[in-house]
Amino acid sequence: MIHTLQTQAIKNPITSIIVCLLFLSVVSLALLYSSLHQGGELKDQTIFYKQIMWLALAWIFFIGFSFLNYRLWFDFAIILYILNILLLIAVELFGKSALGAQRWLDIGGFSFQPSEVSKITAIFILARLFSSPDAKGLWRGIAVPFGLIMLNVAFIAKQPDLGTALILIFLFFSLGFFSSLKKRYFVILLLIALMASPFAWNHLKSYQKKRLIVFLNPNVEPLGAGYTIIQSKIAIGSGRMHGKGFLAGTQNQFNFLPERHTDFIFTVLAEEWGLLGSLFLLLIYFYIFYRIVEVINYLKDTFAQLVLFGIAFLFFFHVFINIGMTLGILPVVGLPLLFLSYGGTHLLVSFTLLGVFVNIYRQ
Amino acid sequence: MNYDYGIRLFRRISAIGFLILAGSLFYYQIINGDYYLRRAKNNYVRVIPSRSIRGTIFDRNNQPLAYDKAAFNIAVIPYQVRDRRDFLFDDIARYLKCSSRQLSQNYSRKFQNLFSPIDIILDIDKVTAFKVRERFGEDIIINPQPQRYYPYGLSCSHLLGYVKEAVAFYENLKQYGYAPYERVGFSGIEQYYDTYLRGEDGGDLIEVNAKGKIVGFLGNQNTQRGVDISLTIDYRIQQIAYHCLEGKRGALILMDSKNGEILSLASWPAYDPNNFIKGKNVEQYLIGILKPMHNRAIQSTYPLGSTFKPIVAAAALEEKKIAPSTTFICSGEMRIGNAQFRCENKHGQENLYQGLAHSCNIYFYNLGLLVGKEKICEWATRFGLNTLTNIDLPYEKKGIIPTQDFLAERQWYKGDTLNFSIGQGYTESSPLEIMCAINVFATGGYLTKPKLLKKVGAAASGDISMTNIGLSNHTLEIIKNGLIDVVNGADGTARTLKPLNLDIAGKTGTAQAKGGAHGWFVGFFPYHNPQYTICVFLENAGSSYEALKITNTFLEKLKEQKLL
Repeated sequence: MIHTLQTQAIKNPITSIIVCLLFLSVVSLALLYSSLHQGGELKDQTIFYKQIMWLALAWIFFIGFSFLNYRLWFDFAIILYILNILLLIAVELFGKSALGAQRWLDIGGFSFQPSEVSKITAIFILARLFSSPDAKGLWRGIAVPFGLIMLNVAFIAKQPDLGTALILIFLFFSLGFFSSLKKRYFVILLLIALMASPFAWNHLKSYQKKRLIVFLNPNVEPLGAGYTIIQSKIAIGSGRMHGKGFLAGTQNQFNFLPERHTDFIFTVLAEEWGLLGSLFLLLIYFYIFYRIVEVINYLKDTFAQLVLFGIAFLFFFHVFINIGMTLGILPVVGLPLLFLSYGGTHLLVSFTLLGVFVNIYRQ
Repeated sequence: MNYDYGIRLFRRISAIGFLILAGSLFYYQIINGDYYLRRAKNNYVRVIPSRSIRGTIFDRNNQPLAYDKAAFNIAVIPYQVRDRRDFLFDDIARYLKCSSRQLSQNYSRKFQNLFSPIDIILDIDKVTAFKVRERFGEDIIINPQPQRYYPYGLSCSHLLGYVKEAVAFYENLKQYGYAPYERVGFSGIEQYYDTYLRGEDGGDLIEVNAKGKIVGFLGNQNTQRGVDISLTIDYRIQQIAYHCLEGKRGALILMDSKNGEILSLASWPAYDPNNFIKGKNVEQYLIGILKPMHNRAIQSTYPLGSTFKPIVAAAALEEKKIAPSTTFICSGEMRIGNAQFRCENKHGQENLYQGLAHSCNIYFYNLGLLVGKEKICEWATRFGLNTLTNIDLPYEKKGIIPTQDFLAERQWYKGDTLNFSIGQGYTESSPLEIMCAINVFATGGYLTKPKLLKKVGAAASGDISMTNIGLSNHTLEIIKNGLIDVVNGADGTARTLKPLNLDIAGKTGTAQAKGGAHGWFVGFFPYHNPQYTICVFLENAGSSYEALKITNTFLEKLKEQKLL
């Protein structure tokens, strides 16, 4: 009886994941439309059409990777990791700058962000290393993966892209907990990392330090660094229960919110759709997370299990940190909102990872 | 591998995350939703206030004493200039050759929110304003506004007061329905009749975007002009009074004896109310040791000296302690116990008229002893001393007489009675207060309330308030004759005023005080049918002689210009 229930429960994650993805794609376009809409017209049409293209491409990736045997990721994990590092070096050398950071590579008119790709390669290389049967020792089990991730993190932090760098470190620790190695090593490492963080402070860019100071007290610089947080809170709070309605958010429509089509897209949702809309979105996200981890115990392949944990944690961190920073309960680190923010690479990466999940489930 | 534990862990962590986010959303959107909605509205709804035109203050001949004229202010929108404010201020300051520190000061003092324009330069001429606009383009805004102007600056300062934005005293003013940037009268007529003068500010309610650009119009409220008022003041007399006092410390008041209309009310040192409007050089006024903000005619009380004697004499007659023919002998001094009380002179045998004309202390010591402190107090009170005159100006201070209430536990000696009967000791009043008391002899026994308001709009403000204080005609006649002798008698103390040929009656006073005696002259003329009552007071002038000199020049000039 229990057994049948369980098999039934995981019977159709694919259909529901696809339904969720379809829904999120529509929401993404609607929010982008609203955030670009000003004074009765769509201000930056190219951004909107680019996003439609990225979304189409993302769906192709999703479907394509759901048919690609995930074991290939295992085989190519190390090569992909190296390729990604090379791309990051390329960014360092030829990259395009925007908003004070050098994160993008220009490929045929489209900007491409290798640091986003690191999220995929990091999941796979960590899953591979931690699932390996000879990863018992301190060296293979913890020092090598940590070193590889920190190399990756170093390149990304240099750009600088603090959000992604932090996410990679979180990923390392969360996957480390599921490796066969004793957990206390990771706890010790975590403590060391925490103690080292004051030293890291000295290596932050001045605008990053400012963001952290402003996080503690946004009123320090109401016109400068604190401005975004203050305006973001006003937008979210003023949405109240039902929101102000589509295209009717004053903070959004009158341009009081900077960066709202990228990292602060959630504020548009919260202002125009209120608490109800926001909670509905949160439920969808957490529903997806639950469907992903639910599958894990039905798998025999440790690599696949770790990959799914990786995806689930990555998604969770993304959502929590992004919404947390728009609410002012976390510092502004610059991280897109899962599936919704404008940004091609981010969409491709998220959809690809879901494609991998579908493939793992099908296997 | 079995990851039950891991799955549970993930679910727990994500559930906590969900609760934190949902809880925060609930906190911002439900608990504080209204607050943030208000802040959102503050962001995009802008009130572009338009100042109402304040009522004009005229003198009795329709000469404007205070009115609004157009001033051009230069304003910036904080958000629009947020990243280049200091540069911009430096540039503007260089262009206009003023200090950029002043601009920053104005900016930070008037900052309301990110999106409301702030006046950084006040009151420049139109041509310059448009030149600045041409040079700095969209960064600045020209903000024309009605601005208060006082054409007679210093000479009407205490009388009129000035206007200021309510914001500095907003906590106290908001209960009366003032908006923070509305103009409010401070001191003088501007304060006393603010309800008439203020009108009603209006404005446009507009929608703006983050750049401060107008994107929508929500409505507007028309301004309402304030009501004009006319004062009883004659600005020509006021000017002369002011110039007569120039360089002294004191007050000069001229009043219509019959109805209490104040024709001039000057006080020195004075201040220029226009400086308060422009917000410059006002520190000197606020910290000046000579207290230029202080209206000496009504806001301070001073020992009365001999100007109090007519009241003592009236009390003695009314209490039937003396007849006008009663004489006392002045030997230049009087002994009470071990103390010696002096007179200025050895007057010999004197009756009441002579006593008043010579201002003989010995005569009044004797009256004081006969009448007694209680009765003198009673009569002084009837003459309006120890009470406010209720002139229509704020911050009037009332005088002192040594009533039982005032003295409380203090022991009263015979010597004190002597001092009291010549207007020393605990006998103080403001110049206006003693003038009104002496005016009783001009009106035939009526205490008349002084007033400044003549007309509100077109309607005459008709209230004349006169109270009969209960003096017999007999007493009135005697004292009046005594006061006539002060000026017209061969050796009256104010005989220097006789050549004016104005038939003046009055009383001089030299009141002992710290820093030198105060000089007084209070009187009325012409004595057979009094038209004007005058009071000249000089702080620490040494004697009444200075006060007489100023009375003389003042009345001479009025005569010259045919203002009487």
